[in-house]
Parts: sequence; structure tokens; C-alpha cells
Amino acid sequence: MKVDRRSFLGLGIGAAAGIAVSPVGMKLTDDSAIWTQNWPWTPVPVDGEVTYESSVCSLCPGSCGISVRKIDDRPVKIEGLAQHPVNDGGVCLHGIAGLQYLYDPARVKTPLKKNGDKFEEISWDDAIELVAGKLADLRKNGSPEKLACIADKEQGSVSGLFQRLLKTVGSPNFYTMPSLESYLEVTAAALHGEGMTIGFDLENSDFVLSFGAGIIEGWGSPVSCFKANASRKERHAKLYQIESRLSNTAANADKWIPIKPGTEADLALGICAVLLKYNLFDSMVASEFRGGLNKFAIMLQKEYTPSKTAEITGVKASDIEKIATLFAKAKMPVAVFGKGRGDGAQSLKELAAVHTLNCLVGNINKKGGAFVRQKSEYLEFPDVSMDSIADAGFAKNKTGRYVNQLIEKVNKSSKPAVDVLFVYNANPCYSLHDPKSVKQAVGKIPFVVSFSSFLDETAKEADIILPSHTFLERLEDVPSCAGLAKSVVGLTEPVIDPVFDTRHAGDAVLLIAKALEGSVAESFEWETYDECLESVAGGIWDSLSEDGYAIVSEGAPFGSASVNISFLADNPATVQARGDDKLTLIPIDNMRLISAGTAASPFAVKTVSDKVLKGQDIVVEINPLTGKGLKDRGFATLTTPTGTARVMVNFNEGMMPGVIGMVEGLGHTFDNKYVSNKGINVNDLIGPVIESGSGLDAAFGIKAKISKA
Amino acid sequence: MSEIENKTENDSTESAGECTAGDTKDDKGLGLGVIFFIVAFVACFLSGTLLFPKLLYSKKEQPFNFDHALHVGETGDCETCHSFREDGSFTGIPKLATCLDCHAEEPLGETEDEVVFVEEYVLEEKEIPWYVYSRQPDCVFFSHAAHTEENGMDCVTCHGHIGDSTSLRPYEENRITGYSRDIWGKNIFGIKKNSWDRMKMDDCAKCHKKETGHQGYCFQCHK
Amino acid sequence: MKQENNNAHKFGMVIDLDKCTGCGSCMVSCMSENNVPFKEDESNKKDSITWMSVYKLTNGKSFPDTEIAYLPRPCQHCGGKGDHGHSPCVSVCPAVATDYGYDTGIVSQIYTRCFGCRYCMGACPYHARYFNWWDPKWPEGMENYLSPNVSPRMRGVVEKCSFCYHRYQAARDVAYYEGRDDIEEHEYQTACTTACPSGAIVFGDLNNPAHKIHQIVKPDPHPDPRNKHVIGKSRNPKVFRLLERLGTNPKVYYLSEREWVRKQGDSYLDGEWDKIKNHHGTSSHG
Repeated sequence: MKVDRRSFLGLGIGAAAGIAVSPVGMKLTDDSAIWTQNWPWTPVPVDGEVTYESSVCSLCPGSCGISVRKIDDRPVKIEGLAQHPVNDGGVCLHGIAGLQYLYDPARVKTPLKKNGDKFEEISWDDAIELVAGKLADLRKNGSPEKLACIADKEQGSVSGLFQRLLKTVGSPNFYTMPSLESYLEVTAAALHGEGMTIGFDLENSDFVLSFGAGIIEGWGSPVSCFKANASRKERHAKLYQIESRLSNTAANADKWIPIKPGTEADLALGICAVLLKYNLFDSMVASEFRGGLNKFAIMLQKEYTPSKTAEITGVKASDIEKIATLFAKAKMPVAVFGKGRGDGAQSLKELAAVHTLNCLVGNINKKGGAFVRQKSEYLEFPDVSMDSIADAGFAKNKTGRYVNQLIEKVNKSSKPAVDVLFVYNANPCYSLHDPKSVKQAVGKIPFVVSFSSFLDETAKEADIILPSHTFLERLEDVPSCAGLAKSVVGLTEPVIDPVFDTRHAGDAVLLIAKALEGSVAESFEWETYDECLESVAGGIWDSLSEDGYAIVSEGAPFGSASVNISFLADNPATVQARGDDKLTLIPIDNMRLISAGTAASPFAVKTVSDKVLKGQDIVVEINPLTGKGLKDRGFATLTTPTGTARVMVNFNEGMMPGVIGMVEGLGHTFDNKYVSNKGINVNDLIGPVIESGSGLDAAFGIKAKISKA
Repeated sequence: MSEIENKTENDSTESAGECTAGDTKDDKGLGLGVIFFIVAFVACFLSGTLLFPKLLYSKKEQPFNFDHALHVGETGDCETCHSFREDGSFTGIPKLATCLDCHAEEPLGETEDEVVFVEEYVLEEKEIPWYVYSRQPDCVFFSHAAHTEENGMDCVTCHGHIGDSTSLRPYEENRITGYSRDIWGKNIFGIKKNSWDRMKMDDCAKCHKKETGHQGYCFQCHK
Repeated sequence: MKQENNNAHKFGMVIDLDKCTGCGSCMVSCMSENNVPFKEDESNKKDSITWMSVYKLTNGKSFPDTEIAYLPRPCQHCGGKGDHGHSPCVSVCPAVATDYGYDTGIVSQIYTRCFGCRYCMGACPYHARYFNWWDPKWPEGMENYLSPNVSPRMRGVVEKCSFCYHRYQAARDVAYYEGRDDIEEHEYQTACTTACPSGAIVFGDLNNPAHKIHQIVKPDPHPDPRNKHVIGKSRNPKVFRLLERLGTNPKVYYLSEREWVRKQGDSYLDGEWDKIKNHHGTSSHG
């Protein structure tokens, strides 16, 4: 018996047949087909019980109610909260994308301390000790006023704690970033007196005259404005938009009135002049004006005749008269100020001139008009205890009036004007004009403490970072500070345990205060921030904790507000754009981006049009007439007195000739590739222009030239 | 080219020569081939049928044993533990909290498994990482409510008599697909005797066709 | 199932383009709801996956007569010629990875079935379908926000808007559990609809006269006398569909008071628009 070739053949065929008849082939075919569609690296989200938790979004001052859908402990979706007094169900794209901030690659995961150019991890205890040590040194040297703090806003308990810390340490140097709310207060202070703020009853007004306010570009409380705008048709209300660019608001408005950039104040005064000339104002109300109504009227009839105004603004004289008549004849007119989102540079002349329209037609504190009310002081902090060092320091003058002046002072002085700087919820090294000089100032300050959740432009300049929880991880009162008709305080509640080793900024302040001991520590009697909030929110805590919000005031305030027009009667000069070139560069607010310190989320950046951002190139808008010699979608060099940039050109018939528009909110340098290193920061090209008198940075734009690159 | 041809020719003549050497053993050679064929066939068929599944599936033991029969005896039904939520979604394998509804006070029973349950999970407040025999892949949407609530099906139709079992069999996971063996079914040929023997798409479609007149649209069962 | 065959839904959407502000909430809500991934550069819109995409329309006039409108575009869930369910994409799919749900009117897309030939993308006149050129990747930890209701896709497959079908399934589960035969209008709303801060999107059952969408659209059940393939033409003169004359019979309708916006719903030869702009289905034609 011999094993031959046939045997092998038999063996082979037998094996093949055996396998063929066995289920191996069939099964492997099926399994490999399944395998190709179920890659192990494709995530499989775990299922579980669906629950909803209510909270408040604090990404912008809008303070919308949100409902967070969770699967077991995992938040998976943010939606608008129905029946919330601010937004009643709707929500903007940034709020919806809020969960992306939780896991943002640029988050600061643990306290960091700068060593040379690099950050090193440090424990919370060491970090607090270090910061408290610096403050103790300041106090020991008798210069506690050299502690400064820049926060996003004045309102709310966390800001309150920072202010309290500064006060008890002995510093008056508390600053806020410019915001719509700060402008509302400045305007109210100029016309009505200190301690007041303004709200606009957009949802009831039948004629909204908007001086560039981006009602649907994120102005004020965005969702609330969207809703008021959407209901216009049903309410037979009109919206007239005065703006140099066909923004979405202008496009959605009943009428768009193009205007030369930076001349809104003049147009408002021109309209005032028409109102006064043709007796279209409420004489009963106007007779109560203080500060010289006659002087004001005479000045207007001289300087702001329709023809003169037309020349300044580029709006036809007949149109000016028509707008004035429509505004005066409307039942519930309201004039709205705050170009773009209302948080950029503004001039007091413009703010006051526009608001004077409201005063003249007598719509103050009337339904559909402008509400002038006391700033809501819903928090009741106990009295502070201050020692002699604190008393002496706190009594000194502030280093500057606004944050811009602070930066300027720091840059100008040879000795450190500020020794320790706290930055909370603000990103001045990105969102102020000419960030390079801001960075230079921050660099000059010996010890900078950032409380940022992200390693943003300002946090990168800090010496120590005490990372805060994001809004989804913390408890906090969120006052709506956005020109809403009603004053609402919402409660942000943690919907997830902190993802990283972060702390509530309120808790960080408490720890610093306690480490300082003495009278400082005495003023911070609470163990935790949560306990502090419950006690200081006393009057509204029940409502906050039960409903998630408290309505502080609603409807038209009782009585009228006194008006003082002395500021305008002197006809302050209109702020001019810096530079000598022919064109004017203006920033554009785009709803899909965020112009303030926080970068937009990856989802939001994804929705940005390729006519705004293409690859890493920012796209500027320009009228084809102005862009002669340039190519649509071609590259160009844009030069201003502050900087030069390579940009892509987009011909847009919606731009007024002579104007170049560049979007705000790009050019971040976070460590998050999905949102950073895209385009440039428009603030790099615009330098501040301080309005004399008010001290506000009023650079609405800057002169520029553009040429083919 | 020609060299190779020559070589093969030589080879073949050689082997032919060998063959002719045993003229009469021609049949025997074939017979041996047949034997080899049969041996190989049987060996491969058997290994494809018996050994292959052992290689294809990895066996995993459940964290500890669970006596379904005992629990069904106590509670009287499946729904007490495998319940619906108010939104109509199905809880599937109960969470620890559900177990604690009854097991809260003290261990019920004296088995070793009860000790593991209490010490490793209850005291540690850890969810029990049960392997789910009937888990469908991520692309499948399955509504228990549609089947049991709306159309009155019983659990046995799809899940078999697991309620009568006193011990948990090892969980078998397909090494290629990651699916539970129960999806294809225990029988490696895919032969199905009972309605609960297999849970592939065709099985769903067949039943849908029979019960509703239509096998259903894609989105009815896919997500 | 039995009831559905006798009483089929036809889910659709009508979007008020005069209310739409182009804010992008619908796009982000959709992405967040449906586990849509994102990548470093999304400015090449041809490979940027947005089930809901908002187009910017302009009237083409020069300054200062320019006008802008925004047009959100989900999958149109076409009923195909004669509304028989032969949607352009469904007809060409060689893998049965997309089908027409006759019970809902929703066009499905099954990722595990799709092998990425992209015929459907070529067939779709609305660019509503997207191809996954890359595997989705989330930054570390971000997978934690993925929803279990929608399977994350893998490289090499096509995806598109599903009218949030999982929300329909969830609504039905509640109904089954509560022993109801059918769902209420408010129980099934897509993620874009609920997110829209302007309330520009109305979603519902085009077959149900009680639903708001039916009252706005007033769909004509008879074939259009000018084109027998067109079914469900709106009898509201302000309502139109995209490329309506193709006979794809989309279930997404658009509403605008502005004629120039309505005209952009299709391409017209010179003078053609004026002839047909006032034609609104059979009944208005007598």
C-alpha cells in the first residue's frame, strides 16, 4: 500500500468537501459581512433610562432655560426649556452644542502653574496657598489696591464674591468686560441717573427702530429676540433696521436703511430734530426734561437738519423725515441701540441719542416701549468686615474707569500698576480691541490668576489657573442681563459630576479668602459656594430652587423716569474711525459664532458658511463696486493702522460701498483644532478709540485699504 | 520554457512508470484515494461542525449564578424585574436598585452566589456586569412594548424558557462579530426548531410577514 | 402595523422662510440629536455632513435692493413619481439600504446595509445625502454625549436625515405602553422643529387634517393636471416645494410671502414663472 498522488488528491478534495458541507463557509461569510459593518472602533452608545433635568444656559447673557436629556448619568442632548420666562422652548445653536464644552480638548483639567513658558500641574491646596500668599504680601506692603479683577459682569453671586474679596482685601479695582448690560447702565446713567438699567419691550412693540442692533444676530437675549421677531407678522409690527450691511436682521426687517458706518448717532439726532421741528414728540413728557431741552432743540435745528444729517449719514433727507413720522405715529414705538450683539465697542453719544428718541415720543415705561428700572439687586450679602489696610486701599481711586483704561495704564506705567490680576469668565486677550497690547499689559502684571475652564488666550498668559466648572457642572444664579423687558434670574444646576479636577469659582474665592484669615476670612462665613448662594439669594431662593428661575420684575415699571439731556445738548463730537484710508473695516456679528471670550463649539463652527471661513482663511465681505481690481473668492491683503492680514474676498451686494465686513469670533488660538487657528481675530485689526467724556472704547471700525494679494 | 516542459514530461513518465510497475494495484490506489477522501471529509466536516464553533465563540462566565426559576417562583412573572419604564421603554436586565427592592434588608438565601452578590456588588454599590444573551447589535431598534404590550406576545416566543432555568449557561461571544451566540442560535447550521432558537433579521421578518402581512420597512427595526 | 396599513401617516414639514433667520439652531440640534460627527476642517461643504443644511438665497439685485432669505434643507423624503414610494434614491439603491416606509412616508437609510456606492447621492436632486469619507472621531471623552437612539456611522457609508425616526419610535412606545392606538401630533416632532427659536418649522402628518401642517399646506390629493406625476401640490399660493415639477413629490414644503423666494424653488425659462406662479393644484384650477 502506497500513498500516492491520488491519495493526496483524495485527501484534499475530501477536506474541501468536508469543509464545504460543514457550516464553516456559510457562517464565516455571514460573520465577516457583519464584521465589515461593525468596526470595533465605531462607538456604541450605551442605552439606559431617559431623564430630563432643567437648568439655565450661561454661555451668553441671554440666560435661556434648558432641558438636558440624560441617559442614566450621561447628558446626551440640550434642548430649550418650555415655559421658561426667557425663551419658552427655543434655544440657540450654542446652547444646544453646550455638551461639547464639557469635553472640550482645551479644558483645563487640573490647577496649573506656569514655570517658564510651560504649565505644570499643581494641587488645589498649593494653588490656593500660592494665590493667598500673593494677596497677603500685597496687604503686608500696604498696596492692596494693586489687586485687580476682570470679570464678565457685575451681577450675580460669583461676581459678587469676587467684588467682596477685592473689597475686603482693599482694592477698588473691579472691572467688567463691555457688555450690552454695561452699555444699558451707562446709557441709563447718562439720561436717567445712576443705578438704573433699560429693557426693551420688543415682543409688544409695533414699530422697532433698530440702530444696527442685531435682533436676530445674537443681540440681547437671543432666543427671546428671535421669538419677538418671529411674531412680528402676526402682530402687524414693523422692524426698520439701520445698518451699513444687509445683516440677517436687515434682511428680515420690513425695511433696511443703509447708513455710513459710525454715523448712527447723527441719524438718531437728525430724527430727534424732525420730531422736535414738526412737534411730533410728547410735549407733556418733554416739558419735564432737565438739562436744557431748548438748548438741545436749537442745537439740533442748527446741526442736524435733514439735509445735513443726510450728508453725514448717507440716508436720504426724505427718508429721515419719513422714519421720524412713522416712529412718532406708531402706537408703541421703540428705538433700540447696541450695534451687532451690543457687546462690542459703542459710543455714548450714539446710545444716548437713540434712547432720546424713546424719551421724546414718551414710550418710557409704557407697553411696547423702553423700560427704565432700577438695577435688580436680588442678592443680600451681609456687611463686610474691613481692617484698616482694606479701608485705606478700597478708598483709593480706581486705576482706570473701564477695562480699556486699566490696560492702557498698565502698559504706560513703568512701575507695575497692577501686581495681581484675577480674570474670571472673561477673555480680554481675545475680545478687546488690539489684543496684542492687552497681552502686553497682562504680561507686565507680575501675577495673573485665571479662573477659566479653558486654556483660552488670556488663561495662556496667566501664571496660575484655578479651573472652574463649566455651566453644566455648577450651581449658580444667572441674572438675565440683556435688555429684556422683564428681569429674570435663572438657576444653573449641575447636570453631571465634574468631568475634571475643577472647582466652582465661588468655592475657589471662598478658599482664597479663608486662607487670608483675619477680617477677609471673617467676611466669608460660608463653608461652600452652594451654601453661600442659598443664604445670599434669601428672598428668591425658594422660587429659584423650586422653579429654576425667579422673575424679579415683569411688565412696564410704574411711573416715568426723569430725563436729563445735558450730555447731548452739548453736542459731543461723533467718534471717528482711526486712520486715513478710504475704506472702513467693520466687525460683523454672526449668530453662528461667538464674539465674546468663549470660542464657538465644533458644531457651531461646522455650520459657518464657506463665505465666512474657507479652510484657515477668513472671508471678508465687500461690495463688488468697492472691490474693483479684486477677484471674488480671490485673496487680498487688508491693511489697517493696527495690522495687516491676508483675507479671502467675497463680493456681497449687501455691503454698502466703501465698507469691508469681517466676522467676529474667529482666529482663536485655543488648543482645540476644531475651532482654533481658523481665520483671524478681527480685533487684531481694530485699535481702541476712546470717546472723550464717556471714556468708552467707541471704535465701531477702522479705516482700511485692501489690495490684491 | 521548453526545459520546464521537458522536466514535467520526465516527471510524469517517471510516475507513470511507477504506476505501471504495479499494474494490478490500480484500483487499490483509487481505493486509497477514496479512503483518504472519506477520512478527510469526515475529519473536516466534524471539525467544521464541532471544533469550529469552539474556536469561533469565546466562552465567558456570568459574574455569578442566577436562578431564574427561583425568582419567577417568588415574583410570579417576568415583568417584576424585566419591567417597562413609564415612557414605554424596556429596562432589560434590571439594575442593582431593582434587585435591592427585595434584597435590601438582608441576604435572601444562603448560596455562594448570594454572598458574591452582596459582597461584590451590593456593598460596593456596583452594577452587576451581566452578559446579555439576547443583545442585538447597535444598528437594531427593538421595541418590547410593540411586541408584548401592543400585540400581546409572550416572552417565551423569543426568549425561550429561560424563566425555568436554575442556572446561567456561559455566555458565548462570536470572536469575529462580537455578537452573542444566541443571535445565530446554538445550532451552528442555523437550523431552527423553536421560535426562540435564533434572532436574526430573517427570523424577525418571517414573523412580521406572518403576523402583519408585511415584513416591515427598514426603519421599523433599524436605527 | 395592521392599523398603519389602513391608516398610513405621511409625515412632512413646512418651513416658513419669512420666519427663518438662518441662525443654525436646526443644524446643530440635528447634529447633536443624530450623533453627526465633525472634523477639523468643515469648510469644504461637499464633504461636511449636515443632515439639515441651511442655504442662503439672494434675489440677485445690487445694493441697496439686495434681499436675503435662508432655506433650511433636510431630506425631502420624496414620495417619487405619482407618490408611489419610488423615491429617486430608493429606486437606485442596489443594496436595499434605503427604502420607503409606506406607513410613514419616511425614507430610511440603513448604515450597516449600505456599502457606499453612492448611487443614491447621484440620484438625489437635493444634495440631502452625505458620504462618510472618514471614520468619525470624537475628541477624548466626547463619545460620552452620544445618544443611543441613533447608531454612529462608520467610514464608507451614506447617511441623511431620518425625520428623527427614533422620536417616532419613542412616541409609539409611550402610546403602546399607555394602550393608545396612535400618537398625538406633539408627541412626534423632529429635533430641528423643536429647536427652532423662531418657530419657523412645522412638522406633522400631511394625511391628518387636524394637524397644523395639513392646515397650512392644504395638500391636493389629486394629480396636478399639468403634470400627472405631481401629487400633493399645495393649495396655499404661498407654499411651494423644491423642484416640484420633477415629480419627486417631496414632503418638505416651504412657505414665503416673497415671490422671489418662491421662484427660487425651481429653475424657470424666461417667462415660464409668470405662467405657472398662480397655479395651485387641481381645485384652484377648477
